[in-house]
Amino acid sequence: MREVSVIGVGMIPFGKYREKTLADIAWPAVKQAIGDSGVKKTDIDAAYCGTALGGMMAGQRVLKQLGITGLPIVNVENACSSSSSAFREAWIGVAAGVYDVALVIGVEKLTKFGGGTLPLEKEDFEVAHGLIMPALYGMRAQRYMHDYGLTAEQLAKVAVKSRKHGALNPDAQFRTAVTVEEVMHARPIAEPFTLLHCCPSGDGAAAAVVCASEIAGRFKGKPVRVLASEVNSGRYMTGYRDMTTPEITVRGAKEAYELAGVGPEDVDVFEVHDAFTIAELLYYEALGLCAKGEAVKLLEDGTTSLGGKKPVNPSGGLLSKGHPVGATGVAQMVEVVRQLRGQCGARQVAGAKVGLTHCTGGGISGFDHGACSIHIFAN
Amino acid sequence: MTEPLIGSTCQECGARVFPPVAVCPECMSEKMADLPLSQEGTLYAWSVVHVAPKGWTVPYIAGYVDLPERVRIFTHVVGAQPEALRTDMKVRLTSATLGKDENGQPLESYAFTPAG
Repeated sequence: MREVSVIGVGMIPFGKYREKTLADIAWPAVKQAIGDSGVKKTDIDAAYCGTALGGMMAGQRVLKQLGITGLPIVNVENACSSSSSAFREAWIGVAAGVYDVALVIGVEKLTKFGGGTLPLEKEDFEVAHGLIMPALYGMRAQRYMHDYGLTAEQLAKVAVKSRKHGALNPDAQFRTAVTVEEVMHARPIAEPFTLLHCCPSGDGAAAAVVCASEIAGRFKGKPVRVLASEVNSGRYMTGYRDMTTPEITVRGAKEAYELAGVGPEDVDVFEVHDAFTIAELLYYEALGLCAKGEAVKLLEDGTTSLGGKKPVNPSGGLLSKGHPVGATGVAQMVEVVRQLRGQCGARQVAGAKVGLTHCTGGGISGFDHGACSIHIFAN
Repeated sequence: MTEPLIGSTCQECGARVFPPVAVCPECMSEKMADLPLSQEGTLYAWSVVHVAPKGWTVPYIAGYVDLPERVRIFTHVVGAQPEALRTDMKVRLTSATLGKDENGQPLESYAFTPAG
């Protein structure tokens, strides 16, 4: 297998673009990534487009806008892990030597659903009985608070940290700070969550250009190496399971660290799937930053804030940057690549050399999550 | 007297599943038999839901109930004030109207309620 590098990234500020089509939301991100990489349209051997709810032929709809057609275009759906899964397909193609240069797109337009909670598959038994994502994470939070003594005030601090980071990111959907009191007194969604515990609904797009590291010198984009590209599905379990341990992330992290030859102690910056406040804490533990039940210490002592030893979600994460689901995986990579290149301005993690992205997709019965992908990058 | 919920048990490997299935997710056997489930279990976790898709009557309490057969069931918890709920408390099967279906008719379903 050949080593693969990211040589170009791009994204649009996440937000609400009701008047735009999916294709018009995405093409500026793709153009930006291509410009950043320095590849010509004709250098691109294949394209992979991740979208969860964008409809048929999303990749073709986006790329025809830029006249990038006639190449293999593959559309990938894996819920919130759609574009991180698309990235892995691109990685496989380039690592295997089938392609030299590949393009990855993540795009979503959630405003077309008119707001509210993420629409889930109604054939699923639990969805048909009223399960929604905020309730699922809410139950995880309730059980974790019971088992480990986490308080509502401590949980609210995740959102406070997220907003503080997001305020420094021009691409974030939410760019204002909030207080613990504001988080706790916002309108209730699914207890213990208020609105400010939940990632916003919205639209967005992100893109990346990857190539074999051995040819990266041909292009102007500053390469960032892919040390590990990993995708898993959850283990289906019909019986009891511990909802405070995200098994798919624990398993995936172990694999990704082994592939990369690094451990959590070597990673300088993390972008994790904080769809709801509790998730960020669960993932500190699952990614090996601390022992079970101790996540809140890292939050409260500043370890995972900008300026701390292990900054998590310097972009603002899903809670502040936004979560147009299919776009999220690649958007996390855009942030980590920019961090490793030293391009993040006020939210730059000083001297970051190794970064990790973590993206899970769920919403069906019997799984912790249906999909999870973890990538590790190094400059 | 509420009718018990029916799951499936695999006659080859003993796996138990709810809701019923035609093929065993453990051993792929198609020899599945009906499994009437216990009517009492424990409340593993819950969340009071205030915002939900159209049709559901909000607020409602979403929960997971663990049954002695080692089956976990997603359910609505009814007949309880949220502040009276306790982790791992005993709950029993009942039925309730949870909202309206796509035709505007009352949506009747199984549910669980605090026992005793």
